[in-house]
Amino acid sequence: MTVQEKLIETIVSRYDGEVGMLIPMMQDLQAESGYLPVDQLRRLAARLDTPVSRLYAVATFYASFRLAPKGQHEVTLCVGTVCYLKGAGRISERIQEEFQVEAGGTTPDGLFTFQAVNCVGACALAPVMIVDGQYHDKVTPDSAMEVLRGLPLEQRQEQQETKT
Amino acid sequence: MPTVTIDGIRVEVETGATVLDAARKAGIWIPTLCYHPAVSPPATCRLCMVELDRGDWKQLVTSCNYPVRCDIEVSVSSDRAVAARRGVMQLLLALAPENEQLKALAERMGVEGTPYPTVTTSQRDCILCGLCTAVCDEVLGRSAIAFSGRGPDRAVTTPFRQPAEDCIGCGACAVVCPVGTIRIRMHEQEGEIEISPFKTRAKMLTCEQCGARVTSVPVAEYALNRAQIDWQEFRQLARLCPRCRRKRTAARLTEGRTLAAQAGYVAGTKKAE
Ligand code: SF4
Repeated sequence: MTVQEKLIETIVSRYDGEVGMLIPMMQDLQAESGYLPVDQLRRLAARLDTPVSRLYAVATFYASFRLAPKGQHEVTLCVGTVCYLKGAGRISERIQEEFQVEAGGTTPDGLFTFQAVNCVGACALAPVMIVDGQYHDKVTPDSAMEVLRGLPLEQRQEQQETKT
Repeated sequence: MPTVTIDGIRVEVETGATVLDAARKAGIWIPTLCYHPAVSPPATCRLCMVELDRGDWKQLVTSCNYPVRCDIEVSVSSDRAVAARRGVMQLLLALAPENEQLKALAERMGVEGTPYPTVTTSQRDCILCGLCTAVCDEVLGRSAIAFSGRGPDRAVTTPFRQPAEDCIGCGACAVVCPVGTIRIRMHEQEGEIEISPFKTRAKMLTCEQCGARVTSVPVAEYALNRAQIDWQEFRQLARLCPRCRRKRTAARLTEGRTLAAQAGYVAGTKKAE
């Protein structure tokens, strides 16, 4: 059994193989893997004797599930009313252009996951950008670029499917 | 049997039949899109609404899944019912403004275009009625396609938007699609059937005798499994097109008759003895 197979087995038995517990199972899988890998979803579907289409439907319905790995850093840009009026829209466009990333997605090199949210409750500091939990206030497209370009990109090895 | 009075016409239907059944029996047309006798009504398109008379008040119901349990009176042509259906049609037109089939139905209903901003969904030209997913699930038991995403991103897709492994290329989804968005494409050269827009493909089975295309290979296997007949001859017949199959059966019958006649077993002869 591969590590991947074992993980599915553990998760499924945690819930007695009950299909009705599909969502908690998927949450566990995401907690373990950081996201929902396609192969793992297929495995889980097969193990539960449930169509993959149903798992995909669930995975795409809930915003908390992700089908792609998270980037090494987390970038959250507030596009709430105040930040928007103060130019968050332009910052968002600039980030998307420059890093080829869509809101909710991850940059192709895995540097960061970009999230646009609707108010972080710090309107006096607008526009606000949060990078790895650190708040940057009164950002402009240029200052945002400066921060993001400075993010370190670690070279991580892809996890290998190891046989046991 | 309960009586349904529709726009003044009285028809009797079985208990549990739907208002739509009654209307069809009465010869009254109610527009439908997501209704198909093969599956339980998803009642998602909302186009078949009629007004139900409840004595002191009236209610709009979807006729395709409203069961008749006692004598009822409904109106298909009341102002409210007509306005409701037209309103729904306008919304549907906003979802698939270019769709020819939808436009034709709208015209028949007296609806001219839509006042709503047209929506750009991730799957164009689809009204999201769910008939295809219902057929694939309920009738075929494959669930190769399903709804994914939500809100404006909701769309009928294969898992991970890749060709679906669970799809057998039967084309049922294309057949029931009320707006003709799901299509069957034949790739003659490769001998493959493609279910568009899902990009799922399956090999076609060619008749062993005449080379005509029969169905997709997985459909043939599926049918064999479903019939649960493991009988050499049946398997052979399943590899032929319907015409060659009939020919072969006919040949067998004549052969059988000749043999039987030789043995003195032809119908009638034996009884006379
Ligand atoms: S062609 Fe594929 S997706 Fe369509 S109904 Fe058949 S199995 Fe389902």
